[in-house]
This record gives sequence, structure tokens and C-alpha cells, in this order.
Amino acid sequence: MANILHTHFISALGDKEQTLDAIKKKHFHMDRKSVRAIEGEVSVPYYTFKEEVQDTLNGIYSVMKKIVHQSIKGLTSEQKAQTAIIVGSSIIDWNVIDAIESSNYAYKRKAFSSLKRSMDSYAKDLSDEFGLNGFTLTINTACTSSANAILEASNLIDSGLYPYVVVVGLEVFSVNMSSGFYAMQLLSSSSIKPFDTQRDGTILGEGVVALLLGNEQTPWRVLGGFSNCNGVNITSVSEEGDEFVEVMEKALMMTQIDKENITALKTHATGTLSNDISEMNAIRKIFTKDIVFTALKPYIGHTVGACGALEIAIFMGCVDDGFIPQTLNHENAISSEYRPLLEHLACNKGTFMFNYFGFGANNTSLILQKESL
Amino acid sequence: MKLYIKAISSYRSDKDESNLKQVLKQQYKVDVRRKDDFIYAGLYGALRLQEKVSIERDNELYLTSGFGNLNILAKMHKYMIENKEPIKLFDFINMLGNTTSFYVASMLGIKAKTLFQISDNFTFFHTLIMIYASLQKSKNEAILGTIDIVSENEEVLKRIAGIEEKTSLVSAVHYQKISLNPKDALCVLEFDTKFYTLEEVKKIIENTNLHVRFSSRCQALHKEGKPYFETDVVEVIYNAIQNNEQTLYVECYGQRYKLLYQFQL
Repeated sequence: MANILHTHFISALGDKEQTLDAIKKKHFHMDRKSVRAIEGEVSVPYYTFKEEVQDTLNGIYSVMKKIVHQSIKGLTSEQKAQTAIIVGSSIIDWNVIDAIESSNYAYKRKAFSSLKRSMDSYAKDLSDEFGLNGFTLTINTACTSSANAILEASNLIDSGLYPYVVVVGLEVFSVNMSSGFYAMQLLSSSSIKPFDTQRDGTILGEGVVALLLGNEQTPWRVLGGFSNCNGVNITSVSEEGDEFVEVMEKALMMTQIDKENITALKTHATGTLSNDISEMNAIRKIFTKDIVFTALKPYIGHTVGACGALEIAIFMGCVDDGFIPQTLNHENAISSEYRPLLEHLACNKGTFMFNYFGFGANNTSLILQKESL
Repeated sequence: MKLYIKAISSYRSDKDESNLKQVLKQQYKVDVRRKDDFIYAGLYGALRLQEKVSIERDNELYLTSGFGNLNILAKMHKYMIENKEPIKLFDFINMLGNTTSFYVASMLGIKAKTLFQISDNFTFFHTLIMIYASLQKSKNEAILGTIDIVSENEEVLKRIAGIEEKTSLVSAVHYQKISLNPKDALCVLEFDTKFYTLEEVKKIIENTNLHVRFSSRCQALHKEGKPYFETDVVEVIYNAIQNNEQTLYVECYGQRYKLLYQFQL
């Protein structure tokens, strides 16, 4: 069984310690960024790192290196040599941009290299840098990228192929990504209001996270989950949420967990009009109104490719500290009987479901369990 | 590890000069609006596989590529960075990796796991390992598509691929149906998680009776000068099935080598 041995991350709230402390105090912090729209440059809210990470090859690699180092520093050289790495991200491949600029503009021209590059090059370079075993993979399924990376990592460990896998979730500000979300009219102008009648969209954010999974005994176990591709079109599922119901029910089935034994649900809850109503309808179809559920995006933003691993790492940190965080910015429920947590709830163990419902009708539900310390 | 191939389809732009958009629209009645060449290739390869084998709702879908959709990034880069124009909605959608996998899954009626992924060093090998681990748990079968499209400006691909300027390029798309179950399989693929050294590979080659095929990256072992596409291992498998050959394929990346054995059944 795959267990989570270590987590390390940075978010808009700071490093791991700062992030968890801010969430405990119910704080969040947003900046603003410019996106390129038909009407010109538009300023939108954005959850930005405290210390800027340049959206460049070197800027991104530096922060990944720091986070991965923290997550694996307890491994011996021999253990590192048995460690695979899977990155989940939706960021632009800057290696391609570099090749495009070298090809198209004389003033940016560089000598030809014999080195192959791709969006997985970060993973390969990290593997080489830290003496990992060379198995690298980068999954790009938008909002479910790093959740799917966790699922695949647990498969690799459970099948006995690798004793350790580092899962990295990565998202930094990108004009293209933010402009795309703006063009799709998915961005809120004020705040993320999960499952609220006044919700008007999501707000993107930055996050870099590393989870070290392994077969050693720890309190946190990845029981498994389910992932599928099922939607009415490329950007949404049905309002009834049946596609989400399927993925959540199959996650329960794959892990042989009864829904009554789910201690709490970490929802995807982007705050967009369509996603939240579909997820709420799915929750109503599976769980009774007593289900404890919460949303983390109001604290750190929607970190897209990183949110799968980052929201798990944050949730784990909160439960290790003895509570499930409340949902911020929720006042008027879209379902009067089903309301997210409105105050932090004392909790230090249990079985938890984590939902991720993304672009491209890519849906993932994971189930983790924490035993008593 | 062993995985069985139930069916395989192959497309190479130098052997089939069809206009994929037209073929999809006229022959297969596919809605080609708001899509691009990378997606057309993905859809066409999948349809070719579907003509050979049944594809089920719970088949897992894996799409991989050497580099992904290069042309959409080049197009967007030009008008967003050079011309300071706003993003176009469907360019943004087509830029995302799992857009192609969504269209392919939808067309094939797949409602199961659907992933788009790249592994810098061994994208086909590492995807096979991942599929093996996944199928062990799910007990399903998998569809694996490999898509490599030549960039409109060939220099872009040559630069990012790290290949010589004089190398000729082809676009290629291959799909396979993969299973843990040997029933009705065309061949079996055998592979492991190990990386081999050049010396180890040389010894293995000396002692094998199999047809040995090399990736175009294995210049230390074999200089063939064949047209380049990153996932050419799948065409080697395809050709071996057609020619009823047992094959050892050698891939390399830097100083690391991987081996894939393919046996007819």
C-alpha cells in the first residue's frame, strides 16, 4: 500500500509552515495580475507567491528543486536511486517556446543542441540532480494533473515496481493560462465563493508541491481512487453531476470504502457557476446531509495542475494539526441542506475523499486514510 | 513485465499523404471544427485502430508524444507575444494537453481513465510501465496512442528534439490496444524498469537471435539515417507484426539504454 511519507510545498500563503498557520487563522491573501483580453490588458485577482517565481525555465526549475529537495532529504542515496518522479502540471512548455524563439528570431538564435527537451525535462533534470532512478513522467490533464500523478504513483508502488515515487504539482503564473481562463469567462472579479449563490467564478493561484510516496508505514495511506474522462462537452459535465457521481462511486468501490465511513470530503469547488452546482448535485446523490465537506481554494486559489497534490498536502497538514479547515467566503448556500464547513472542525484522523474535476472532462476522486498517531 | 497487443494501427505522413482533416470530415464524418493538426492526427489514428478491434467504455486511454502540440504554441506565441493580441478561445483550449485526449475518448466512447503525458527520456517505455501498473489494479485493457507531428517550421522540432539539422522528419501516429490477457493477442511486449549501459546492451545484442532494431538516438550502436519521429518504437512493433518477426528494440537517451522484446504469438 502506498503511503505518504513527506510533503513540502509553497503557496500564495508562503511555505508549508506559513501556509498552515495562515489557514488555521483563516487568512488568505490575493494580489492582481494582468491578462490579455479583447478589451486590452485587464487586471484580475490572483493568488501570487510571496516571493516571485519567474515563469521561465530557470525560475520554475529553481523552485521545484527546492521543494523536491525538502521532500526527499530523508532518503539515503540507495533509496533515492530507487525513487521515480511524476510531475503533474498544466504549465506551458518553455522548452518549446525557447525553440520557437530560436527558430523565428535572429536576435534570439542559439546554437543547435543535441539535448532533447520537453515538458518532462524538469522531472528528468530533478531525477539526475538528486540521483533518482530515471523513471520520469509528466502528466498534463489540466486541473486533475497532480491528482492523477498521485494515483499513478500509488499504482507503481502497489505493483512493486518502485518503492518510492515523488509526486510534484506545479503551477506558476502564466499570461496564457490566465488569459485563457478569462476568455472562458471563468474568473471572478472578487473572491472564490464555493457553493454560494453569489459565486461568480474562480481565481487562479500559484503552487509548487512535492509528496513523497513510499511503501514504508506512515499514518497517511493512499487507499486509491478513480479517474475518468466523462462530460457533456470539453468544458463541463451535466448540471445533474452524474459524471462526478460515477467517479466518486468508483473511487469508493475501488478502495472498498463505504460512503458512510468517509470522515470528510475535500471538494474541488472552483467557485464557478457550472462546476459547483454539478459537484453539489453529485454530493447530494451520494452522501446524506451530514457529510462534512470543505473547500480549500479560497485560501490559496485554484492552482490548476498543482491543486491535486497541493490541496492534499494542505489538508494533511491541517488534520495533523487537529482540524479540518472551514470553507471561506460562503454565506448563501446553493443547497440549504448541504453546507460546507463554516468553522474549523476538530479532527485528527479518518478516511477522506478528495475531488478534482477538471477541464477536458477529466475527473478524479482519491481516498486517503489517516490512522491515529 | 509482459503486455499483450490485441491490435495496432499505424500512420506515417511520408507513406500516406492523405489530408487528415478532409479524411476525417468526409470519410469518417467527424466534426473537424475548432480543432488542429495534432488533434486530427490523434483522431485519425484512433479511428484506424477502431476499425481493427472493439474499444470498450472502460478501456483506459493513454496518449503520449515526444513533444505535444508544437504548432499551437508557435501560433499563439506569434500573435500573443509578437503582436500583443489577446488569446483566442479555441487556441487556448487546443493548447491544453488533455484536449486531444478528450476528443479521442469522446469519439471512441471511452469513459475511463484518460491521460495525456510525456516522459522526456523514454516516453513510450515509461508509459508502458505505467499502463502495466494500472492494469494490474483495474483489470481493464488500455488504448495507447503515440502522436508526433512535424512542426510547421521544422527547425522548431529539430531544436527541441536535439537532432541534427539535416535529419528528415515525418509525422506519425500509432495506436495499440493493450492487455494483460494473452487471449487473441498479436504479440507480447516484454520489458523491465532497468536502465542498461552501452556495454550491457552490446553483450545482449551479441547473444540474441532476434531482429535488433534501434532508435535513431542510438548512434553509438547503429547509424541508420532514417526519418525521425520520437515514438518510432511503435512502428518497429507494427512492422514486426506485419513481417512476423521477433524483435529486440533498443532505445537510448544519453548514457542510458532500455530494451523492449517483442514476440509474435
